[in-house]
Amino acid sequence: MRTYETIFIVHPDVVGDQYAATVDKFKGILTEQGSEILKVDEWGTRKLAYQVKKQGRGTYVLVAYQAGPEVVAEFERRMRIDESIIKFQTIYLEKGLEVAPAPAASEAVAEEGAEAEESTEETE
Amino acid sequence: MAFERKPARPAAPRRRFTRRKGCRFCGDKTLKIDYKEVRNLRYFISERGKIVPRRISGNCATHQRQVTEAIKRARNIALLPFTSGHSFD
Repeated sequence: MRTYETIFIVHPDVVGDQYAATVDKFKGILTEQGSEILKVDEWGTRKLAYQVKKQGRGTYVLVAYQAGPEVVAEFERRMRIDESIIKFQTIYLEKGLEVAPAPAASEAVAEEGAEAEESTEETE
Repeated sequence: MAFERKPARPAAPRRRFTRRKGCRFCGDKTLKIDYKEVRNLRYFISERGKIVPRRISGNCATHQRQVTEAIKRARNIALLPFTSGHSFD
């Protein structure tokens, strides 16, 4: 099993229930193939650096999961078919998913978190 | 033919930009290079969207390579521009 991270951009006109359904659908594609989802991060709609399929905005979704390479191939194939996905990118995380410290923590706490993170890396 | 050669240009100031020397990622080990953190990468791209070379950014080879890779990944997923020439709105 390898750890991968996929970012996909959902069409900005896909909102509300439709959007939730799309995200769920792709999460389902991963789980039904026996991969373990580690993290789902919905960044919300943001401006793109350049136009993609004539859209200036897009809704970013980040998914980190553990799976084999054939799962990624199938996942990407399904994303190519779905027109509500305008762009995607999969990255292989060599070191696995790093646990980020809590985002809404003060600096001192964040530093402690970073130290703790480092120590866990060493023990791995 | 009286073709006066232009006098050699007075030596240009040796350092045009005063940037901090040394690799900032080596100096501060807590800094992470991540293609998703565009705010940190902005420092390493020019106004035109080009990657700032090592001689100016001051990065060491290892970190410059990581920065380059991160910028290219960010470009692929439309977080950073390939060029500033295609602004829209």
